[in-house]
Amino acid sequence: MDAAICIGSGAGVSPVIGSAADIVRQISAGARSAVSVLAETEALIRARNPDLNCFTATTLDRAGREAAAIDALRAQGKPLPPLAGVPYAVKNLFDIEGMVTLAGAKVNASNAPAGADATVVARMQRAGAVLVGALNMEELAYGFTTENPHYGTTRNPHDRTRGAGGSSGGSAAAVGAGMVPISLGSDTSGSIRVPASLCGVFGLKPTYGRLSRSGTFPFVNSFDHVGPFGASVSDLALAYDAMQGPDPKDPACAQRAPEPVGTAPALPPGIRIGILGGWFHEWADPVARRAVQLAATALNAREWTEIKGAEAARAAAYIITGAEGGALHRSRLIEQYENFGPASRARLVAGSLIPASWVLQAQRVRAQVYREAMELFKRFDLLIAAAAPVVAPRIGEETLLINDRSIPTKAGLGVLTQPISCIGLPVCTVPVWPGSDGPSGQELPLGVQLIGAPWREELCLGAAGILERAGIAQFRLP
Amino acid sequence: MCDDQRVTEGSADPLESYVRAALTLQGYHFDEAQIAEIVVQFSRLETIAQTVLQWTLPFASEAAPVFRP
Repeated sequence: MDAAICIGSGAGVSPVIGSAADIVRQISAGARSAVSVLAETEALIRARNPDLNCFTATTLDRAGREAAAIDALRAQGKPLPPLAGVPYAVKNLFDIEGMVTLAGAKVNASNAPAGADATVVARMQRAGAVLVGALNMEELAYGFTTENPHYGTTRNPHDRTRGAGGSSGGSAAAVGAGMVPISLGSDTSGSIRVPASLCGVFGLKPTYGRLSRSGTFPFVNSFDHVGPFGASVSDLALAYDAMQGPDPKDPACAQRAPEPVGTAPALPPGIRIGILGGWFHEWADPVARRAVQLAATALNAREWTEIKGAEAARAAAYIITGAEGGALHRSRLIEQYENFGPASRARLVAGSLIPASWVLQAQRVRAQVYREAMELFKRFDLLIAAAAPVVAPRIGEETLLINDRSIPTKAGLGVLTQPISCIGLPVCTVPVWPGSDGPSGQELPLGVQLIGAPWREELCLGAAGILERAGIAQFRLP
Repeated sequence: MCDDQRVTEGSADPLESYVRAALTLQGYHFDEAQIAEIVVQFSRLETIAQTVLQWTLPFASEAAPVFRP
Protein backbone atom coordinates (compact mmCIF):
# COMPACT_ATOMS: atom_id res chain seq x y z
CA MET A 1 0.00 0.00 0.00
CA ASP A 2 1.28 3.47 -0.79
CA ALA A 3 2.55 5.10 2.36
CA ALA A 4 0.67 8.33 1.86
CA ILE A 5 -2.67 6.66 1.11
CA CYS A 6 -4.67 4.70 3.63
CA ILE A 7 -8.15 3.27 3.66
CA GLY A 8 -10.19 3.85 6.77
CA SER A 9 -12.30 1.16 8.39
CA GLY A 10 -14.61 3.18 10.64
CA ALA A 11 -18.37 3.50 10.36
CA GLY A 12 -18.08 6.63 8.21
CA VAL A 13 -16.70 6.94 4.73
CA SER A 14 -13.11 5.95 4.02
CA PRO A 15 -10.61 8.83 4.06
CA VAL A 16 -9.77 7.96 0.45
CA ILE A 17 -10.80 5.23 -1.89
CA GLY A 18 -7.23 3.88 -2.10
CA SER A 19 -4.64 3.99 -4.84
CA ALA A 20 -5.50 2.49 -8.22
CA ALA A 21 -2.64 0.01 -7.88
CA ASP A 22 -4.01 -1.16 -4.50
CA ILE A 23 -7.56 -1.44 -5.80
CA VAL A 24 -6.43 -3.63 -8.70
CA ARG A 25 -4.41 -5.86 -6.33
CA GLN A 26 -7.27 -6.15 -3.85
CA ILE A 27 -9.87 -6.96 -6.50
CA SER A 28 -7.52 -9.50 -8.10
CA ALA A 29 -6.99 -11.16 -4.71
CA GLY A 30 -10.68 -11.13 -3.89
CA ALA A 31 -10.21 -8.81 -0.91
CA ARG A 32 -12.64 -6.29 -2.42
CA SER A 33 -15.08 -6.42 -5.30
CA ALA A 34 -15.35 -3.77 -7.98
CA VAL A 35 -18.96 -3.20 -6.94
CA SER A 36 -17.97 -2.57 -3.31
CA VAL A 37 -15.20 -0.15 -4.40
CA LEU A 38 -17.81 1.68 -6.46
CA ALA A 39 -20.16 1.87 -3.47
CA GLU A 40 -17.37 3.39 -1.34
CA THR A 41 -16.59 5.86 -4.12
CA GLU A 42 -20.22 6.88 -4.35
CA ALA A 43 -20.30 7.49 -0.58
CA LEU A 44 -17.16 9.60 -0.76
CA ILE A 45 -18.55 11.68 -3.61
CA ARG A 46 -21.82 12.18 -1.73
CA ALA A 47 -19.95 13.26 1.41
CA ARG A 48 -17.31 15.52 -0.12
CA ASN A 49 -18.52 16.86 -3.41
CA PRO A 50 -21.14 19.32 -2.09
CA ASP A 51 -18.39 21.22 -0.33
CA LEU A 52 -15.93 21.21 -3.22
CA ASN A 53 -18.10 21.21 -6.35
CA CYS A 54 -15.90 18.90 -8.39
CA PHE A 55 -18.59 16.87 -10.16
CA THR A 56 -21.07 18.32 -12.62
CA ALA A 57 -22.64 14.88 -13.20
CA THR A 58 -22.22 11.34 -12.00
CA THR A 59 -22.46 8.26 -14.21
CA LEU A 60 -23.31 5.71 -11.56
CA ASP A 61 -25.56 3.50 -13.70
CA ARG A 62 -22.81 3.07 -16.22
CA ALA A 63 -20.28 2.64 -13.40
CA GLY A 64 -22.44 -0.12 -11.92
CA ARG A 65 -22.40 -2.00 -15.22
CA GLU A 66 -18.65 -1.57 -15.64
CA ALA A 67 -17.93 -2.69 -12.06
CA ALA A 68 -20.22 -5.72 -12.38
CA ALA A 69 -18.43 -6.71 -15.59
CA ILE A 70 -15.09 -6.73 -13.74
CA ASP A 71 -16.51 -8.85 -10.90
CA ALA A 72 -17.96 -11.24 -13.48
CA LEU A 73 -14.57 -11.58 -15.17
CA ARG A 74 -12.98 -12.50 -11.85
CA ALA A 75 -15.77 -14.93 -10.99
CA GLN A 76 -15.12 -16.67 -14.30
CA GLY A 77 -11.42 -16.94 -13.47
CA LYS A 78 -10.43 -14.80 -16.44
CA PRO A 79 -7.42 -12.44 -16.38
CA LEU A 80 -8.26 -8.95 -15.18
CA PRO A 81 -7.29 -5.83 -17.16
CA PRO A 82 -4.68 -3.41 -15.73
CA LEU A 83 -7.17 -0.92 -14.22
CA ALA A 84 -9.75 -3.49 -13.13
CA GLY A 85 -12.39 -1.83 -10.97
CA VAL A 86 -10.54 1.48 -10.57
CA PRO A 87 -12.97 4.40 -10.28
CA TYR A 88 -12.12 7.53 -12.24
CA ALA A 89 -13.82 10.66 -13.54
CA VAL A 90 -13.20 13.02 -16.46
CA LYS A 91 -13.22 16.75 -17.10
CA ASN A 92 -16.52 17.54 -18.71
CA LEU A 93 -14.97 18.23 -22.11
CA PHE A 94 -14.47 14.48 -22.73
CA ASP A 95 -17.31 12.81 -24.62
CA ILE A 96 -19.24 10.31 -22.53
CA GLU A 97 -21.71 8.32 -24.60
CA GLY A 98 -25.26 9.53 -23.95
CA MET A 99 -24.26 12.73 -22.13
CA VAL A 100 -23.95 16.30 -23.35
CA THR A 101 -20.30 17.41 -23.45
CA LEU A 102 -20.42 20.75 -21.65
CA ALA A 103 -16.80 21.93 -21.72
CA GLY A 104 -17.88 24.13 -18.82
CA ALA A 105 -20.10 26.24 -21.07
CA LYS A 106 -23.76 27.15 -20.99
CA VAL A 107 -23.62 27.53 -24.78
CA ASN A 108 -22.99 23.78 -25.04
CA ALA A 109 -25.78 22.72 -22.68
CA SER A 110 -28.34 22.28 -25.46
CA ASN A 111 -26.02 20.29 -27.73
CA ALA A 112 -26.93 16.70 -28.60
CA PRO A 113 -25.57 14.02 -26.29
CA ALA A 114 -22.32 12.38 -27.37
CA GLY A 115 -22.86 9.36 -29.58
CA ALA A 116 -19.72 7.60 -28.37
CA ASP A 117 -17.01 7.87 -25.73
CA ALA A 118 -13.88 9.90 -26.39
CA THR A 119 -11.05 7.65 -27.55
CA VAL A 120 -9.20 7.81 -24.22
CA VAL A 121 -12.41 7.16 -22.25
CA ALA A 122 -13.02 4.06 -24.38
CA ARG A 123 -9.43 2.99 -23.72
CA MET A 124 -9.85 3.47 -19.96
CA GLN A 125 -12.96 1.31 -20.13
CA ARG A 126 -11.09 -1.35 -22.09
CA ALA A 127 -8.45 -1.28 -19.32
CA GLY A 128 -11.15 -2.04 -16.76
CA ALA A 129 -11.56 1.41 -15.21
CA VAL A 130 -14.99 2.43 -13.91
CA LEU A 131 -16.25 5.88 -14.95
CA VAL A 132 -18.07 7.62 -12.09
CA GLY A 133 -18.70 11.08 -13.48
CA ALA A 134 -17.89 14.32 -15.27
CA LEU A 135 -15.93 17.10 -13.59
CA ASN A 136 -16.14 20.86 -13.43
CA MET A 137 -13.79 23.10 -15.40
CA GLU A 138 -13.16 26.66 -16.47
CA GLU A 139 -15.64 27.75 -19.13
CA LEU A 140 -14.33 26.42 -22.48
CA ALA A 141 -10.96 25.79 -20.77
CA TYR A 142 -10.06 29.48 -21.10
CA GLY A 143 -8.47 30.33 -17.74
CA PHE A 144 -6.68 28.93 -14.71
CA THR A 145 -9.17 29.26 -11.84
CA THR A 146 -12.30 27.06 -12.37
CA GLU A 147 -14.46 29.90 -11.10
CA ASN A 148 -17.15 28.90 -13.55
CA PRO A 149 -20.03 31.41 -13.96
CA HIS A 150 -22.50 28.66 -14.95
CA TYR A 151 -21.53 25.61 -12.91
CA GLY A 152 -19.93 27.22 -9.85
CA THR A 153 -16.45 27.43 -8.39
CA THR A 154 -14.43 24.33 -7.57
CA ARG A 155 -12.82 24.76 -4.18
CA ASN A 156 -9.40 23.67 -3.09
CA PRO A 157 -9.47 20.50 -0.94
CA HIS A 158 -6.69 21.90 1.28
CA ASP A 159 -8.40 25.22 1.95
CA ARG A 160 -12.01 25.88 0.95
CA THR A 161 -11.38 29.62 0.69
CA ARG A 162 -8.94 29.01 -2.15
CA GLY A 163 -9.43 27.90 -5.71
CA ALA A 164 -8.54 24.56 -7.24
CA GLY A 165 -6.84 26.14 -10.24
CA GLY A 166 -7.85 25.39 -13.77
CA SER A 167 -8.92 24.77 -16.23
CA SER A 168 -9.10 21.12 -15.07
CA GLY A 169 -9.95 22.20 -11.51
CA GLY A 170 -12.58 19.54 -10.86
CA SER A 171 -10.20 16.82 -12.03
CA ALA A 172 -7.41 17.91 -9.67
CA ALA A 173 -9.66 18.56 -6.66
CA ALA A 174 -11.51 15.23 -7.00
CA VAL A 175 -8.19 13.38 -6.72
CA GLY A 176 -6.88 15.81 -4.11
CA ALA A 177 -9.90 15.18 -1.89
CA GLY A 178 -9.48 11.41 -2.21
CA MET A 179 -12.76 10.84 -4.05
CA VAL A 180 -11.15 9.07 -7.00
CA PRO A 181 -7.56 7.84 -7.43
CA ILE A 182 -7.40 8.90 -11.08
CA SER A 183 -9.03 11.57 -13.22
CA LEU A 184 -8.52 12.89 -16.72
CA GLY A 185 -8.01 16.49 -17.77
CA SER A 186 -6.73 18.55 -20.64
CA ASP A 187 -3.84 20.99 -20.86
CA THR A 188 -3.62 23.72 -23.49
CA SER A 189 -1.43 26.16 -21.58
CA GLY A 190 -1.11 24.54 -18.16
CA SER A 191 -4.58 23.25 -17.37
CA ILE A 192 -3.31 19.94 -15.95
CA ARG A 193 -0.14 21.29 -14.34
CA VAL A 194 -1.58 24.37 -12.63
CA PRO A 195 -4.50 22.65 -10.83
CA ALA A 196 -2.25 19.68 -9.98
CA SER A 197 0.11 22.19 -8.38
CA LEU A 198 -2.61 23.97 -6.42
CA CYS A 199 -4.42 20.81 -5.26
CA GLY A 200 -1.34 18.77 -4.34
CA VAL A 201 -1.69 15.88 -6.80
CA PHE A 202 0.43 14.35 -9.55
CA GLY A 203 -0.36 15.30 -13.13
CA LEU A 204 1.03 14.25 -16.50
CA LYS A 205 0.91 16.39 -19.61
CA PRO A 206 2.38 14.08 -22.22
CA THR A 207 4.16 15.14 -25.40
CA TYR A 208 1.88 17.00 -27.82
CA GLY A 209 0.35 14.29 -29.98
CA ARG A 210 1.02 11.39 -27.62
CA LEU A 211 -2.58 10.84 -26.50
CA SER A 212 -5.60 11.08 -28.74
CA ARG A 213 -7.91 14.06 -28.30
CA SER A 214 -10.61 12.56 -30.46
CA GLY A 215 -13.98 13.02 -28.76
CA THR A 216 -12.87 15.94 -26.61
CA PHE A 217 -14.27 19.44 -26.97
CA PRO A 218 -11.44 21.49 -28.52
CA PHE A 219 -10.06 24.79 -27.33
CA VAL A 220 -6.83 25.43 -29.27
CA ASN A 221 -5.93 22.67 -31.71
CA SER A 222 -2.32 23.82 -31.86
CA PHE A 223 -1.81 23.17 -28.15
CA ASP A 224 -4.54 20.89 -26.79
CA HIS A 225 -3.22 17.88 -24.86
CA VAL A 226 -5.02 15.37 -22.64
CA GLY A 227 -3.57 13.54 -19.65
CA PRO A 228 -4.17 11.99 -16.25
CA PHE A 229 -4.13 13.18 -12.64
CA GLY A 230 -3.30 10.73 -9.87
CA ALA A 231 -2.55 10.40 -6.19
CA SER A 232 0.70 8.57 -6.91
CA VAL A 233 3.22 8.14 -9.71
CA SER A 234 2.22 4.51 -10.23
CA ASP A 235 -1.43 5.50 -10.68
CA LEU A 236 -0.47 8.18 -13.17
CA ALA A 237 1.62 5.63 -15.07
CA LEU A 238 -1.18 3.05 -15.08
CA ALA A 239 -3.62 5.52 -16.60
CA TYR A 240 -1.07 6.86 -19.07
CA ASP A 241 -0.21 3.38 -20.35
CA ALA A 242 -3.89 2.51 -20.70
CA MET A 243 -4.51 5.53 -22.95
CA GLN A 244 -1.49 5.34 -25.26
CA GLY A 245 -1.63 4.38 -28.91
CA PRO A 246 -2.23 5.90 -32.33
CA ASP A 247 -5.62 7.20 -33.35
CA PRO A 248 -6.19 8.35 -36.94
CA LYS A 249 -9.29 10.27 -35.80
CA ASP A 250 -7.03 12.91 -34.18
CA PRO A 251 -4.85 14.49 -36.89
CA ALA A 252 -2.32 15.67 -34.28
CA CYS A 253 -2.02 12.25 -32.65
CA ALA A 254 1.34 10.72 -33.43
CA GLN A 255 1.00 7.42 -35.20
CA ARG A 256 3.45 5.65 -32.92
CA ALA A 257 3.04 2.44 -31.01
CA PRO A 258 2.50 2.61 -27.24
CA GLU A 259 5.66 2.91 -25.19
CA PRO A 260 4.53 1.60 -21.79
CA VAL A 261 6.26 3.01 -18.73
CA GLY A 262 5.03 0.35 -16.29
CA THR A 263 3.94 0.97 -12.73
CA ALA A 264 7.38 1.81 -11.32
CA PRO A 265 9.15 3.94 -13.93
CA ALA A 266 12.83 4.30 -13.07
CA LEU A 267 15.47 6.86 -13.94
CA PRO A 268 18.59 5.45 -15.62
CA PRO A 269 21.93 6.35 -13.99
CA GLY A 270 23.79 9.40 -15.22
CA ILE A 271 20.73 11.48 -16.01
CA ARG A 272 21.59 15.18 -16.40
CA ILE A 273 19.04 17.50 -14.81
CA GLY A 274 19.02 21.27 -15.24
CA ILE A 275 17.20 23.85 -13.14
CA LEU A 276 15.41 26.43 -15.27
CA GLY A 277 16.34 29.99 -14.35
CA GLY A 278 15.62 33.21 -16.22
CA TRP A 279 11.88 33.56 -16.89
CA PHE A 280 11.09 30.54 -14.70
CA HIS A 281 12.96 31.98 -11.71
CA GLU A 282 11.77 35.57 -12.17
CA TRP A 283 8.10 34.52 -12.19
CA ALA A 284 8.33 32.13 -9.23
CA ASP A 285 7.66 33.58 -5.79
CA PRO A 286 9.86 32.58 -2.81
CA VAL A 287 7.65 29.59 -1.93
CA ALA A 288 7.73 28.32 -5.52
CA ARG A 289 11.49 28.78 -5.62
CA ARG A 290 11.80 26.76 -2.41
CA ALA A 291 9.73 23.93 -3.94
CA VAL A 292 12.06 23.85 -6.95
CA GLN A 293 15.10 23.81 -4.69
CA LEU A 294 13.73 20.90 -2.65
CA ALA A 295 13.16 18.87 -5.80
CA ALA A 296 16.51 19.85 -7.32
CA THR A 297 18.41 18.84 -4.18
CA ALA A 298 16.65 15.47 -4.00
CA LEU A 299 17.46 14.83 -7.67
CA ASN A 300 21.04 16.00 -7.24
CA ALA A 301 20.50 18.74 -9.84
CA ARG A 302 22.90 21.63 -9.42
CA GLU A 303 23.28 23.34 -12.76
CA TRP A 304 21.09 26.27 -13.71
CA THR A 305 20.13 26.87 -17.30
CA GLU A 306 17.68 28.92 -19.36
CA ILE A 307 15.25 28.78 -22.23
CA LYS A 308 15.97 32.27 -23.55
CA GLY A 309 12.86 32.21 -25.72
CA ALA A 310 10.54 31.39 -22.80
CA GLU A 311 8.91 34.82 -22.69
CA ALA A 312 8.44 34.78 -26.46
CA ALA A 313 7.02 31.26 -26.31
CA ARG A 314 4.52 32.37 -23.71
CA ALA A 315 3.57 35.37 -25.84
CA ALA A 316 3.28 33.18 -28.94
CA ALA A 317 1.04 30.76 -27.05
CA TYR A 318 -1.08 33.66 -25.85
CA ILE A 319 -1.61 34.99 -29.38
CA ILE A 320 -2.26 31.60 -30.97
CA THR A 321 -4.63 30.71 -28.13
CA GLY A 322 -6.56 33.96 -28.53
CA ALA A 323 -6.84 33.58 -32.29
CA GLU A 324 -7.79 29.89 -32.42
CA GLY A 325 -10.11 30.07 -29.40
CA GLY A 326 -11.81 33.18 -30.73
CA ALA A 327 -12.19 31.80 -34.24
CA LEU A 328 -13.65 28.55 -32.90
CA HIS A 329 -16.49 30.34 -31.13
CA ARG A 330 -16.99 33.36 -33.43
CA SER A 331 -20.38 32.37 -34.83
CA ARG A 332 -21.82 31.66 -31.39
CA LEU A 333 -20.31 34.86 -30.00
CA ILE A 334 -22.25 36.72 -32.69
CA GLU A 335 -25.49 34.86 -31.97
CA GLN A 336 -25.49 34.39 -28.21
CA TYR A 337 -22.85 36.62 -26.61
CA GLU A 338 -24.84 36.88 -23.38
CA ASN A 339 -24.67 33.13 -22.85
CA PHE A 340 -20.89 33.23 -22.53
CA GLY A 341 -19.43 34.05 -19.13
CA PRO A 342 -18.39 37.65 -18.48
CA ALA A 343 -14.76 36.69 -17.94
CA SER A 344 -14.36 34.93 -21.27
CA ARG A 345 -16.63 36.52 -23.88
CA ALA A 346 -14.76 39.79 -24.46
CA ARG A 347 -11.44 37.89 -24.47
CA LEU A 348 -12.77 35.45 -27.05
CA VAL A 349 -14.10 38.20 -29.31
CA ALA A 350 -10.83 40.12 -29.03
CA GLY A 351 -8.98 36.94 -29.98
CA SER A 352 -11.09 36.51 -33.07
CA LEU A 353 -9.86 39.91 -34.29
CA ILE A 354 -6.14 39.07 -34.16
CA PRO A 355 -4.47 39.70 -37.54
CA ALA A 356 -3.19 36.65 -39.40
CA SER A 357 0.32 38.09 -39.55
CA TRP A 358 0.56 38.00 -35.72
CA VAL A 359 -0.55 34.38 -35.61
CA LEU A 360 1.87 33.28 -38.32
CA GLN A 361 4.72 35.11 -36.63
CA ALA A 362 3.74 33.44 -33.35
CA GLN A 363 3.81 30.01 -35.01
CA ARG A 364 7.28 30.76 -36.41
CA VAL A 365 8.49 31.90 -32.99
CA ARG A 366 7.07 28.69 -31.56
CA ALA A 367 9.15 26.63 -33.99
CA GLN A 368 12.23 28.69 -33.20
CA VAL A 369 11.91 28.24 -29.42
CA TYR A 370 11.34 24.52 -29.97
CA ARG A 371 14.68 24.37 -31.77
CA GLU A 372 16.32 26.24 -28.89
CA ALA A 373 14.90 23.72 -26.41
CA MET A 374 16.18 20.82 -28.51
CA GLU A 375 19.67 22.30 -28.27
CA LEU A 376 19.24 22.41 -24.50
CA PHE A 377 18.31 18.73 -24.45
CA LYS A 378 21.76 17.92 -25.86
CA ARG A 379 23.12 19.05 -22.47
CA PHE A 380 20.29 17.91 -20.21
CA ASP A 381 17.86 15.01 -20.07
CA LEU A 382 15.38 16.73 -17.79
CA LEU A 383 14.60 20.29 -16.74
CA ILE A 384 12.98 21.48 -13.52
CA ALA A 385 10.75 24.50 -12.91
CA ALA A 386 7.85 25.44 -10.68
CA ALA A 387 4.42 24.60 -12.11
CA ALA A 388 2.71 27.68 -10.67
CA PRO A 389 4.19 31.00 -9.59
CA VAL A 390 2.36 30.91 -6.23
CA VAL A 391 0.33 28.57 -4.02
CA ALA A 392 -3.44 28.49 -4.52
CA PRO A 393 -4.85 32.05 -4.53
CA ARG A 394 -8.03 32.93 -2.63
CA ILE A 395 -11.24 32.53 -4.61
CA GLY A 396 -12.08 35.76 -6.39
CA GLU A 397 -8.55 37.15 -6.17
CA GLU A 398 -8.25 38.99 -9.46
CA THR A 399 -4.56 39.86 -9.35
CA LEU A 400 -1.44 37.97 -8.33
CA LEU A 401 1.54 39.76 -6.88
CA ILE A 402 4.69 37.89 -7.87
CA ASN A 403 8.00 39.35 -6.75
CA ASP A 404 6.48 42.86 -6.73
CA ARG A 405 4.92 42.49 -10.19
CA SER A 406 1.19 42.12 -10.58
CA ILE A 407 -0.52 39.95 -13.19
CA PRO A 408 -4.20 38.96 -13.70
CA THR A 409 -4.89 35.66 -11.88
CA LYS A 410 -6.89 33.95 -14.65
CA ALA A 411 -3.98 34.21 -17.07
CA GLY A 412 -1.06 34.66 -14.69
CA LEU A 413 -1.26 31.30 -12.98
CA GLY A 414 -0.03 29.79 -16.25
CA VAL A 415 3.01 31.99 -16.65
CA LEU A 416 5.40 29.08 -15.97
CA THR A 417 3.51 26.37 -17.86
CA GLN A 418 2.55 28.18 -21.05
CA PRO A 419 6.08 28.35 -22.56
CA ILE A 420 6.45 24.57 -22.16
CA SER A 421 3.13 23.49 -23.67
CA CYS A 422 3.75 25.96 -26.49
CA ILE A 423 6.55 23.68 -27.64
CA GLY A 424 4.79 20.44 -26.72
CA LEU A 425 7.27 18.97 -24.22
CA PRO A 426 6.16 16.21 -21.82
CA VAL A 427 5.88 17.24 -18.17
CA CYS A 428 5.12 15.40 -14.97
CA THR A 429 4.01 17.77 -12.21
CA VAL A 430 4.68 16.55 -8.68
CA PRO A 431 3.23 17.96 -5.43
CA VAL A 432 5.89 19.45 -3.16
CA TRP A 433 5.26 20.93 0.28
CA PRO A 434 7.61 23.87 0.60
CA GLY A 435 6.35 25.22 3.92
CA SER A 436 4.49 28.43 4.56
CA ASP A 437 5.44 32.05 4.29
CA GLY A 438 2.10 33.42 5.37
CA PRO A 439 1.00 34.55 8.83
CA SER A 440 -1.47 31.66 9.06
CA GLY A 441 1.34 29.13 9.06
CA GLN A 442 -0.79 27.02 6.72
CA GLU A 443 1.23 24.79 4.45
CA LEU A 444 -0.08 24.48 0.92
CA PRO A 445 1.26 22.39 -1.93
CA LEU A 446 3.12 23.71 -4.91
CA GLY A 447 3.87 21.64 -8.01
CA VAL A 448 7.23 21.18 -9.64
CA GLN A 449 7.43 20.50 -13.37
CA LEU A 450 9.76 17.70 -14.48
CA ILE A 451 10.18 18.48 -18.17
CA GLY A 452 11.52 16.03 -20.73
CA ALA A 453 12.45 16.06 -24.38
CA PRO A 454 9.64 15.00 -26.74
CA TRP A 455 8.49 11.40 -26.23
CA ARG A 456 10.54 10.97 -23.03
CA GLU A 457 7.63 10.71 -20.60
CA GLU A 458 9.38 7.79 -18.92
CA LEU A 459 12.14 10.12 -17.68
CA CYS A 460 9.61 12.62 -16.28
CA LEU A 461 7.79 9.82 -14.46
CA GLY A 462 11.07 8.22 -13.35
CA ALA A 463 12.19 11.46 -11.70
CA ALA A 464 8.73 11.84 -10.16
CA GLY A 465 9.11 8.35 -8.68
CA ILE A 466 12.45 9.28 -7.10
CA LEU A 467 10.92 12.38 -5.51
CA GLU A 468 7.94 10.38 -4.29
CA ARG A 469 10.10 7.69 -2.71
CA ALA A 470 12.28 10.37 -1.10
CA GLY A 471 9.16 11.91 0.46
CA ILE A 472 9.73 15.23 -1.35
CA ALA A 473 6.70 14.76 -3.60
CA GLN A 474 3.67 13.55 -1.68
CA PHE A 475 -0.06 13.23 -1.99
CA ARG A 476 -1.46 14.38 1.35
CA LEU A 477 -5.05 13.89 2.30
CA PRO A 478 -6.53 17.20 3.51
CA MET B 1 -7.19 62.99 -46.76
CA CYS B 2 -4.69 60.14 -46.79
CA ASP B 3 -5.67 56.50 -46.31
CA ASP B 4 -4.33 56.40 -42.76
CA GLN B 5 -6.61 59.20 -41.71
CA ARG B 6 -9.65 57.54 -43.25
CA VAL B 7 -9.21 54.20 -41.42
CA THR B 8 -8.86 55.89 -38.04
CA GLU B 9 -11.85 58.13 -38.58
CA GLY B 10 -14.17 58.30 -35.57
CA SER B 11 -11.54 57.49 -32.98
CA ALA B 12 -8.27 59.08 -31.97
CA ASP B 13 -6.88 55.70 -30.96
CA PRO B 14 -5.74 53.49 -33.86
CA LEU B 15 -6.17 50.36 -31.75
CA GLU B 16 -9.78 51.19 -30.96
CA SER B 17 -10.37 52.07 -34.61
CA TYR B 18 -8.97 48.72 -35.65
CA VAL B 19 -11.20 46.88 -33.16
CA ARG B 20 -14.31 48.73 -34.34
CA ALA B 21 -13.53 48.06 -38.00
CA ALA B 22 -12.66 44.40 -37.40
CA LEU B 23 -15.84 43.87 -35.37
CA THR B 24 -17.90 45.25 -38.22
CA LEU B 25 -16.02 43.19 -40.80
CA GLN B 26 -16.58 40.01 -38.82
CA GLY B 27 -20.30 40.63 -38.36
CA TYR B 28 -20.43 41.47 -34.66
CA HIS B 29 -22.92 43.98 -33.27
CA PHE B 30 -22.14 45.30 -29.78
CA ASP B 31 -23.11 48.26 -27.66
CA GLU B 32 -20.54 50.81 -26.54
CA ALA B 33 -19.93 49.17 -23.14
CA GLN B 34 -19.26 45.83 -24.78
CA ILE B 35 -16.93 47.40 -27.33
CA ALA B 36 -15.03 49.09 -24.52
CA GLU B 37 -14.46 45.69 -22.84
CA ILE B 38 -13.27 44.17 -26.11
CA VAL B 39 -10.90 47.08 -26.69
CA VAL B 40 -9.35 46.46 -23.25
CA GLN B 41 -8.89 42.77 -24.05
CA PHE B 42 -7.48 43.47 -27.51
CA SER B 43 -5.11 45.99 -26.02
CA ARG B 44 -3.72 43.27 -23.71
CA LEU B 45 -3.26 40.98 -26.70
CA GLU B 46 -1.52 43.72 -28.62
CA THR B 47 0.91 44.36 -25.76
CA ILE B 48 1.82 40.68 -25.56
CA ALA B 49 2.01 40.40 -29.34
CA GLN B 50 4.84 42.93 -29.38
CA THR B 51 7.16 40.33 -27.79
CA VAL B 52 6.47 38.03 -30.73
CA LEU B 53 6.51 40.69 -33.42
CA GLN B 54 9.90 42.01 -32.29
CA TRP B 55 11.58 38.66 -32.97
CA THR B 56 13.70 38.67 -36.10
CA LEU B 57 13.38 35.36 -37.86
CA PRO B 58 15.07 34.00 -40.98
CA PHE B 59 12.84 33.81 -44.05
CA ALA B 60 13.29 30.04 -44.05
CA SER B 61 11.69 29.80 -40.60
CA GLU B 62 8.40 27.97 -41.10
CA ALA B 63 5.29 28.22 -38.98
CA ALA B 64 4.96 25.40 -36.46
CA PRO B 65 1.91 23.49 -37.61
CA VAL B 66 2.44 21.21 -40.54
CA PHE B 67 -0.45 19.88 -42.59
CA ARG B 68 -0.07 16.14 -43.04
CA PRO B 69 -2.49 14.76 -45.64
